[in-house]
Amino acid sequence: MNRLRLGLLAVGGAGLAALLVAACLDLPDFGGSRHPYGDRAVRASLARHIANTIASVNFDQRAYDTLGEMSILFAAVLGCVVLLREARDERRARPEPAEVVRPVRRYALLVLPVALLTGLYVIAHGQLSPGGGFQGGVVAATGLHLLYLGADHGALERVRPLGFFETADSLGVCAYLVLGAAGVLAGTAFLANTLLPYGTFDTLSSGGTVPLLNAAVGMEVASAVVVLLAHFLDQAVEIEEEPGR
Amino acid sequence: MHHLIPLLAAVPLFGAALLVATGRRLSRAAAEITGFVFSGGTAALALVLLLNSAPPMTEWVGGWLPVDAESVGILVVGDGPALGMAALASLLTLAALAYSWRYFDQPPRERTGSFTALMLVFQGAMCGFAVAGDLFNAFVFFELMSVVAYALTGYRIDEAKAVQGALAFGVVNSLGAYAMLMGIALLYARTGELAMAKIGRGLDAAAGPGGPDALVLASFVLVLTGLLVKATAVPFHFWLPDAHAVAPTPVCMLLSGVMVELGSYGVWRVYGTVFAGPGGIPAADLTRALVTLGTLTAVTGAVMCWYQRHIKRLLACSTVAHTGLFLVGLGVLTPEGDDGVALYLLGHAGVKAALFACAGVLLDRFGSVDEHALHGRARRLRATGVMFAVGAAALAGLPPFGTALGKAVAEEAVGGPLTAVYVVVSAITGGAVLRVTARVFLGLGPRPQEAEYEISGSDEEPETSGRLRRIPDTMTTVPAVLLAASLAVGVVPGFGALVARSVNEAGSGGAHASVHWTGHGLLLDAASTVLAAALAGLAVTRPRRAAAPDRAAPLRRLQSGHVGDYVAWLLVGAAFLGALALPGVLGG
Repeated sequence: MNRLRLGLLAVGGAGLAALLVAACLDLPDFGGSRHPYGDRAVRASLARHIANTIASVNFDQRAYDTLGEMSILFAAVLGCVVLLREARDERRARPEPAEVVRPVRRYALLVLPVALLTGLYVIAHGQLSPGGGFQGGVVAATGLHLLYLGADHGALERVRPLGFFETADSLGVCAYLVLGAAGVLAGTAFLANTLLPYGTFDTLSSGGTVPLLNAAVGMEVASAVVVLLAHFLDQAVEIEEEPGR
Repeated sequence: MHHLIPLLAAVPLFGAALLVATGRRLSRAAAEITGFVFSGGTAALALVLLLNSAPPMTEWVGGWLPVDAESVGILVVGDGPALGMAALASLLTLAALAYSWRYFDQPPRERTGSFTALMLVFQGAMCGFAVAGDLFNAFVFFELMSVVAYALTGYRIDEAKAVQGALAFGVVNSLGAYAMLMGIALLYARTGELAMAKIGRGLDAAAGPGGPDALVLASFVLVLTGLLVKATAVPFHFWLPDAHAVAPTPVCMLLSGVMVELGSYGVWRVYGTVFAGPGGIPAADLTRALVTLGTLTAVTGAVMCWYQRHIKRLLACSTVAHTGLFLVGLGVLTPEGDDGVALYLLGHAGVKAALFACAGVLLDRFGSVDEHALHGRARRLRATGVMFAVGAAALAGLPPFGTALGKAVAEEAVGGPLTAVYVVVSAITGGAVLRVTARVFLGLGPRPQEAEYEISGSDEEPETSGRLRRIPDTMTTVPAVLLAASLAVGVVPGFGALVARSVNEAGSGGAHASVHWTGHGLLLDAASTVLAAALAGLAVTRPRRAAAPDRAAPLRRLQSGHVGDYVAWLLVGAAFLGALALPGVLGG
């Protein structure tokens, strides 16, 4: 079976590789000046006073794709929570408090507020500068876990009420959907960015619904990553297989 | 009205988010009622939109209407096939939720709504994929659908088999999705567009006098690989029996009833909108590719189905076989073929979901889905037995079920030796299910001998909390309703013509075909039903002659359970697909 597998892999891989190489030779040359979608996207972004065109694509022009993407994260976290639950032959054990080397502890506790603040900054300035809800959410959520490195699992659990973050995760999705449905109720279209004034270019409140959708995604991503890491940490630290099985 | 189309994806997602937000405080009944409200509401919305889908609707999400025929927004389509698939997915989700009402053993404490929430996300993802008119958007919902399906398949984590099946499903389908994304990137590089219709026009504009080049071929192969993995065409099909055998019954109803079929639907939509023009893949090549793969799939699925004794695996393999028939019907590229497949698909969804529901009853009553171990034990489950037999006959193509009507129309469209494939394959799958009925529910024939290399279906955990003593009404009503729906597809006057009109309005180059029962079709349907009964009779009375011969053993051994094998086959399949479509590129 092993040899058959390798043979198949060689044949299939070679065929596919030949096809891909041939296709890549037909790609447009590097540095060309024809960018039909890019030109249109920049025009549309400027028309709605959004300084960061990528935010305009994510939360305005293709906001419906972002709904799907945030749902993928939401569903993946929900799936992980369901799959990583305690199995019948597992039990919970309280982990021992861990000793942390002093420089590590000092560094982690020093950087923790900086990391959190950076995350929130990146979320808040999504429509102005590179970043946004997805990136900032991950920064903020992982920043919180410096507490696990600097102190221990117990300390992290005290500042991280899981129920709160699970609720925040789903409320982020709800908020995004409600903002989308508002467009339908107003008679324009789902996720239409026509309800709020576009504001002054390059300020925090510019871009109509973009900052709001961005914030909803930031809340969802930060909470989802916290919940996800919590369940993997539980699996590694707290849940043990029952002895004798 | 067209503004409401994106809500088909949004409403179930909202329900799921609400359930997770309040999950810790809700009672089980409240969580399930919430599930019904959102799932049923979406189904109602899909039906209302469907009734208004002539002429076909389109909607630019976010109100990005095209300016000078160019738009930066996302297009969703509201034609008959798109809304029909969304309605089918929604109604089946509703049926699956009703089936699991209060009996499905959910994880304890604090997670009351999570199963229902996952089912709702699944429904939203399937609806979103069905109505997508933008290739990247279709990919996003395709991924969402996959992610939820992995979690639902591995739901019963206490069983190693469930985790293995979900893992194989996850690895193979993720690879398919990567292939699809790469194909989309190639198409974007060539045309700078993401809306399917615009990509198609872009390909036509960019094509030189020589026709399509290697880039078009590669993007075609990659996008179709992703869709065919989902549709379980041979040799991308290996994940399906492993996943369907272990997924909870309500999930199997959705996986086999509609998710797999969405793969075939995707092939139809993407070919018709993106690759059908002069800059795409020539029709002859598409026909060669789909008919070859479809025939291989149908035959492989039928053989695998016949030699199973694990009832859920058997049903899963029959889904593979029917997918093959769908692909053949779509591959001939005639309006009649499309209409036949649409009707066949609708009829098949009801029948297959009903059969899985009945298999679930066996699992929860006896803790086994093994044909041999259950020999004669289910005599007293009369209602379930009758439904299993009816489902088997409908699968074989007993008139006037929807399966029979769709099969007859498709048979006429494909013609020649392919008609024989339709008759034989449907007869074998129907015969296998009839054989199970005869042994398990009637106790006919001698108890079969134990064979060596077998996957038995004994020692399974029931999905209810403990084995059932009495079968709850929901678990008999749901399959009965599903079978009745499948019957209605064939008998309700004018339904076939309605489906045909809406399919042809959306595709098939605008050509119209009329769909009705014909003497020829009835004869072929009767032939396959009789053949199925004969096969089942032979297997039950002469078990030795119908037992697995050595010739089928190598085919079954390919189903090794090793994910690495499945990945190797996926690469081979993609290369094979490229080879099948190559002549059009070389010839130009």
